Parts: sequence; structure tokens; C-alpha cells
Amino acid sequence: MNTKKVRHITGLTVLNILFIALCTIIFIPILYALSLSVSRGGTGLNSGLSFWPQNPTLANYYEIIVNEPFLLWLKNSAILSIGTMILAMGTAITAAYAFSRYRFKGKNGVLQVLLILNAFPQILSMFAIFRLFKTFHLLNSYIGLIIVYAGSMCIFSIWNMKGYFDTIPIEIEEASRIDGANSRQLLFKIVLPLARPAIIVTAVMVLIFVWNEYLFSTTFMMNENSYTLAAGLYQLQSGDYSRSWPLFSAAAILVSIPILIVFFCIQKYMISGLTAGGVKG
Amino acid sequence: MKKRIAMFLCATMAASLLAGCGNKTSNTNEKPQNDTAKAQEISIWHDGDESVMSVIQEQVNKELAEDQLTVKFEKKSGLTDQIKLYGNDEESGPDMYLYAHDSLGAFVEMGVLSPITDILEKDAYKDMLPMTLKAGEYQGKQYLLPLYFETLLFMYNKDLWTDEIPSTTEELYTYMEQNTDSAKGTYALVNQHSTAYNVSPVINGFGGYVINEEAKPGLTKKETKEAIEYNKKFAALEADGDYNTVTTLFNEGKAQAIIGGPWLIPGIKDANINLGIKSLSDFTLPNGNSLAPYSGIQAIGVLKHAAENKKDAIKKVLTVLSKPDVGVALAEKANCAPANQKAYDQEKVANNEMISAMKQTAETAQPMPNIPEMSVMWGPTESLLAAVNKSEEDLDTAAEKYQKEAETAIADMK
Amino acid sequence: MKNKRKNRPWMYSFPALILIGIIVVFPILYTGYISLTNMNLYHWDNYHLIGLENFQRALLKVDSGFFKALLTTILWTFLNMVIQIAIAFFIALGLNVKGLKMARVYKTFLMFPWAMPAYVSILLWKVGMFNTEFGFLNKILTAMGLEKMNFLSENVPAFLSCMILNLWMALPFMIMMMDGALQSVDRSYYESAKLDGAGFWKQNWYITIPSIKPILLPSIIMTTFTTFKQFDIIYLLTMQKGSLSGSTLQTIITYAHQNAFVSNNYGLSSAVSIVIFLFIILFSLFTNREIKEAA
Repeated sequence: MNTKKVRHITGLTVLNILFIALCTIIFIPILYALSLSVSRGGTGLNSGLSFWPQNPTLANYYEIIVNEPFLLWLKNSAILSIGTMILAMGTAITAAYAFSRYRFKGKNGVLQVLLILNAFPQILSMFAIFRLFKTFHLLNSYIGLIIVYAGSMCIFSIWNMKGYFDTIPIEIEEASRIDGANSRQLLFKIVLPLARPAIIVTAVMVLIFVWNEYLFSTTFMMNENSYTLAAGLYQLQSGDYSRSWPLFSAAAILVSIPILIVFFCIQKYMISGLTAGGVKG
Repeated sequence: MKKRIAMFLCATMAASLLAGCGNKTSNTNEKPQNDTAKAQEISIWHDGDESVMSVIQEQVNKELAEDQLTVKFEKKSGLTDQIKLYGNDEESGPDMYLYAHDSLGAFVEMGVLSPITDILEKDAYKDMLPMTLKAGEYQGKQYLLPLYFETLLFMYNKDLWTDEIPSTTEELYTYMEQNTDSAKGTYALVNQHSTAYNVSPVINGFGGYVINEEAKPGLTKKETKEAIEYNKKFAALEADGDYNTVTTLFNEGKAQAIIGGPWLIPGIKDANINLGIKSLSDFTLPNGNSLAPYSGIQAIGVLKHAAENKKDAIKKVLTVLSKPDVGVALAEKANCAPANQKAYDQEKVANNEMISAMKQTAETAQPMPNIPEMSVMWGPTESLLAAVNKSEEDLDTAAEKYQKEAETAIADMK
Repeated sequence: MKNKRKNRPWMYSFPALILIGIIVVFPILYTGYISLTNMNLYHWDNYHLIGLENFQRALLKVDSGFFKALLTTILWTFLNMVIQIAIAFFIALGLNVKGLKMARVYKTFLMFPWAMPAYVSILLWKVGMFNTEFGFLNKILTAMGLEKMNFLSENVPAFLSCMILNLWMALPFMIMMMDGALQSVDRSYYESAKLDGAGFWKQNWYITIPSIKPILLPSIIMTTFTTFKQFDIIYLLTMQKGSLSGSTLQTIITYAHQNAFVSNNYGLSSAVSIVIFLFIILFSLFTNREIKEAA
């Protein structure tokens, strides 16, 4: 018994070391950005091997937050992400449920076609969507962009959640049905709570997609003030003429932080998933 | 509760889908609607340095203050692609644009531009340098009003380059051989040696061309190939040649000199480099010609809808822009070489080291071709240069290959 | 009543299908329409239908260069997916070991690459990692007394560099999906397997993988398609205008971009898009078995 415990602890230690090493390796480019973001001067790049610049400064962060419309962009990003999440998840959850739970003619066909449609490179669609939106006066509006983003993520969301819905034993639902629950109650009281991890993961995917998207945002929004963070950042670096690596890195770190916070926060909701519900259910 | 959420979801969904078809302004209330007010705003798209644009914007708005007229510069990354999307769209496109002249042909062929002669009398821009005017001319019509121009320059760090600056490229090469240690990462001269723009001084100097006026690519032309071969020996001593690499090397003091343009100045200033400038036309090639870089003319074009519907306002703006004052302001505050010759009468313009070097280069410089076919030439030319300089490919076969690629690309345009 | 039940799945999926219709289907149809016109720089506003001429020209582009690009793309997709799935699986297993208290912290760290916009990561790697003068990798090489290396100037190193970057960017999603899937596996299976004396590999092969496969299959298929049409990494790393690296690596999307899109001939490039789309459909027929299984 004792040896087993010892083995377990050594195993954990080794695992911890491995993970710390892995995280460090993965983190090297980020460290690079961090060190750039606190360095002074025009370029910040240097030929030495050290990661820490000589006179670290927070001036770049200050510059981004105060002198660029950072907070405005943050607000736009937040509005668009949340709007897209509501629209994409609202439509995709019910569709995924339908595709997972009902047997109907054309179901597999539709699913396969959706997948193939999704393979059409989105960048090629831009021109057509642009023309369509111009006709309906949807350019330069949040709603237009939300529709684009939600539509782009819809197929992914349906497929992603359907896979998870499929694994929820249908018996649970049947039992509830016998108890007199109607299908809406079924969906909201039984299926959704059980599928919570999948729904959260998908929602986060949607969120990250919107957060990091810049091509549609820079093209469809007329005004710098209605850009998202990623778009603003893209604008910031795109001018070769004025590229400032320290500023750019600082902005990149700032853009990433909200996503990391969201990610850290949702983790505990992802755990109580299928099995917990299924067994006790 | 859950039910309510469901209802809410459905409602937002429906609402957003419906609202999509109707009102566009509902969410864009940051932009003041000033249709009713008398003040008129002319929007100008650009893809350049914001500090340069703000100099122009301030100068123009100052002079137009009594006319209830303002111009607003808006930065659009990937400006040519954006204009290809928005085109002549009155509602959401720009009224004018400010950009390098080489995309002119494409815009004219698309039919989105109006010649400035429709709005402005010829007299108004007679003081412009002839080269800059020629750059804005397409099929015999004047479409662009030049504001300032850029050429490549030889920029050096006075603290590092202590010798006299050579006057021939051969001497320059000897100096580079003696003062470059790529293992240690120190260089005599760095250049973006595999981009068409930065190799143009050599190509033009050898009498070669990337594309001629009949839209015929010249990559396999004997002179072009000789130039590329000649450039190759320099390239071997000029680091990787990527923009970030070479500018950083220079700003860090690892490179004594760089071939670059005025756009590098802000970074160089930040890095506290003791900068010296020499015109590329001061260097003689073995064949006796001077280096002859491309020049890029930053010029204003007018979209058709604006020329039709806002003619008076556009005319006022163009008139102000063509005055020497704008040039002087640009030279003084942003180190740009004005297109207006009268601006050089001012001492502070004429004495600016960089501007006078550019003005001097302008004698040998060639404006980039402005025919639409030029836009597909950058790619194959760069590929050829990279293949020769970086991947050690045979010049003749590579030139054949990319000449063919360029010809296909040109044929594909129609 | 019966009819209502029959329509219910369509009712549920109707809003989603509308959305997809606007954003996904319409553009494809529109591209198909443009491919039949002569829309280009010279006929930008006044284009008209010209029949299948563009397709004739587009098919000329299906030459040896195209097939080379196609082969590269398939190799690229295959290698990326296999490595990605394998690595993500083991990392996720590690994260789910009982008693690993720091798991949540590790997870957050591992997610960082995902939280950055793609082009930012790519630029960061280009300058921070691969650059000949300032790149971390070359700094290590010099510190070890080796010669500097240009990672992006030859095809094979460039391919590997792009792949490593793609893994770096794509792993977080895979890890997250795997992690979520692993947590759904019923622990009681392992107990009984242990009693039967099954070791680590056997447990994984007979319990873990079969249990998580149905959950993961959709996201794996989706990722395969994303990898297949990956453009940014190869383009920004090796062929961005003004900083060509020298390698001639092409996937079919970059090939199409270079051969049709730079010409601003919308009719022709639409035809090329449609042809490529047909190839993607063909490609998806290879993976059809998995798709059917997942659907």
C-alpha cells in the first residue's frame, strides 16, 4: 500500500515536471512578446539571448490603453462576441438537438452537406457577402457583422454539439417523457444541463473566433472607432511604415488577457459533465 | 425561468434577423449625422503614416475653416483591395483617396476615378515637379494631384561609418566585404535585397525593367538579368533582407547603413542614431550609370461620385492641396519631399538633408509604372529575386519561369 | 399531431439553416454566378454572362503545379492531424490524472496560443522564433556554436516550421476537446478493467479511445477541413509581399491565390474557387466513412 502511494506521488511529480516543461516550451513565443512589450525604443528586438530587456517599462501598455482607442475597441469586441454567441448558440443548440434526437428524412444528407459547405474557404465568400450586405444596408453595423460571424460559426457549432448530444443516453429522456415532460422541458431541463461542457466549449470557440477575427471587421466597418480589438491591432501593425514591435506586442498581450480570464473562469463549469448527471440522473 | 430564456433567445434571434433588413444606423450612433448641418465633410482614405496625414489634415482644415468644410483622413489597411470592394460607392466609400500612384491604372480601368482636370484648371498644379505629374497621368489624362514623393536613399550611421561614403558601387562592395561579419551579426549595409522596389535602383541603372509601357514583363531581358546577378553579390552580405530584420539591424547599430526611405525616419529617431543621408544617384554602377530607384508619388485621386455631387467642395480641397504651403508643412513637420517646386524656395525645406537628397534622386528616379499590369508584377519579380538570392536557384531558369508566370498573370487579368 | 411531430426537427433547425443559407450558401451560389461572367478590372461594373469560358481557363490551371500543391496539402493535413491528435490525447490524459492539483493552471497556460489572434501569433513566430538575426531558434544555434540557419528559405524546413507553428496554434483546441471528452468517460469502466488486470495502454485502447471517439469525431473532422484550407500560416510566414522567404511551398489555396486572385479577374478567380471547391468535395469523399459514422 505504501509503495503504491510513493509510486503515485513520484508519478505526479514527474507529471508536474513534464507539464511545467511543456508549458515553458509553449510559452516561449509569448515570453518573447512579453519581453518585447516592456522594452523601450523603436524596435525592441535585440540579438542577445536574454529574454528580459534592460530597462523594463510599462510605457507601451500605457500608450495602448490611453492613446489608442483601446477601451472603445474592447467594448466593440465585447458587444460583437456576446451578440454572436447569443445568435449562434441560440440557433445552433436547437438545430444540434434536432439533428441528434430526431430521425427524419434527409437528416444525414443535410449534415453531410453542411460539412462540405463549411469547407468553402470563408475568405472567398467575403465579396459575395459584401455585395449582399451593401444591398441591404448592413455594412458598418454590428448586426451585419454578428450575422456574418454567427453564420460562419453555425455549422461548426451544430456539428460540435451534436456529437456530444449523441452520447447522452436516450433512456434518460425517455424516462422523463414518461414522467410527463414535454419536449421543450426535455431540452431545457434534461439535455442542456447534461451537455453543458459541450455547450460551453462551443460557446468559447465562438467567442474566440469573434475575438480574433479581423478581416471582416476591417472590411465591413467604416470607421476606426467601430473596430474590434483584433481589427484595431491589425490596423496598428499593418503599416510597415510605422511598425513598432513593443507597442504591437503590448497590444497583443492585452488582447489575449480577456480570453484567458474567461477561460480560467469557465473551467469549473466544464467538469460537472455527462457522467455526473448520467449516473445520478 | 428556462422558458423565459428560451423566449428571449428566440426573440433576439428574430429581432436581429429582422432588424438586419431595416435600419443600418441603429448601432452606429458614434458617427454624428450631419446631413442637415451646413458643414460638409470630405472623407479621404489612405494607408500611410497617420502622423503625415494629420499634418495634411490640419493644414487643409485650417485653410478651409471659413468654408464650413473639413477633410477627414481615414486609414484603411489594404487600401487597393478596399477600393476594389467599395469602389464608387457614395454611401459608404470615400470621396477621395491618398495613395502611391502605382495603383492608378487599375482604378481608372475600374471606372471609379474622375480626372482632376474635370474639377481643377491646369494652372492650379503647374508648379508640381514634372515627374510627379507624369506619375499621376494615365492614358493622356491627369487623374492624380501629387502631394509628396518618396525615393530610396542611402542612410548611414555617422558614428559607425567613419570612412568617406564611396561614390561607386564597386567601392561600396569592397567596403562591405571588409566590414561585414554575418556570424557576429554585424553588417556594413543592409537592404531588402529581394523585393522589386529595393532592387529597382540596380535594375533601372542597368537599363533593365520589370515591366515596360507596353505591359511587357522584362524579367528575361539581358539587362534585367545582369542587374539581378549584380545585386546578388550584394545580397549575400545584406542579411536576410526581410523588412523587420534590416530595419532592426540598422536601428540597433548592427548595420552601418541601410537602403531605405523616409518611412524609416521615426524608428531611426527613436533609436537615437546619428543619421547621415546620401542620394542613391551619387553612386555609379560599373557601366557608368547612376543608381536609379523607383519613386513613389503620394497623390490624391477623386472618386467619380464625389466629382459629380460635391464638385465645389472637392475643388476647394484640391486648390488648397495644390498650394506650396501644404508642401512646406509636410516637409517641415513630416520630412516629406513636396511635389510642389515652389515649396523648395523656402530655406527650411531646401536645407533639409533628407529632402534635398530625395529631390536630387528625383533627377534619375523613375516613377513606378502605373499601368494595372504592374500590380501583378511585384509577385513574380520578388519570387525571382528570392529564388536567386535565397534559394540559390539558377538565374536563367528562374527568370524564364517567373517571366512566364508574369505573362500568365497579365493574360489572366482580361 | 403526427405531422407536427414530423416537422418539429425542421422547426428546430430552421433558424440555423436560414443563417447558414445567408452566410454560407448564398456566397457559394454567388461565386458560381460570377464565375460565369467576365467581371474583371476592365469590366468592373458592366460585366455580363459569358458562359463557361472561365472554367476552360480555370481548368488550365489544374497543371503539374496544382497537383504538386494538392499533394503538399494532403501531406500537410495528414501529418498535422495525426501529430495533433496524438499529442493532444496524451496531454489531456496527463491533465486528467487524479491528484494533479495544478491542472487548471496548466490548462490556462496551454490555452494561451489560442487566445491570440492568428496573425499576431504568426508574426510573433516569424520574428521571434524563425528570424535569422533575432529569432530565438537561431540564438540557440549560435549559443551552441552552430551556424545560423534560415528556416524558411528551403521547402522542407519551411514546411516543418509551418507545421510546428500550426501545431502550436491548433493544439489548445484539441486539448480542450479531448479534455472535455475524457471527463465524460465513465470511471467505473476503469475500475473493472483494472480488476481484469488491464495495463495503461490496454485501458486506453479498449476503454478511453472507443468512449471518446464519437464525441470527438465531429471536431476532428472540422479541424481536418480547417487544416486543409489553412492559408494564413504558409502565406504570412513564407510568401507575404515584401518579405518572401525563398521557399516555394504551396498548398492549393495559396496556389489559387497566387495564380488567380492577384490578377483581379473576379470571373476567373471565382471559377478557380469553384474548381477547388469541387476538389475539396472530392477530398471529403475520402473521409466519407468517418463523416457518415459521425452523422
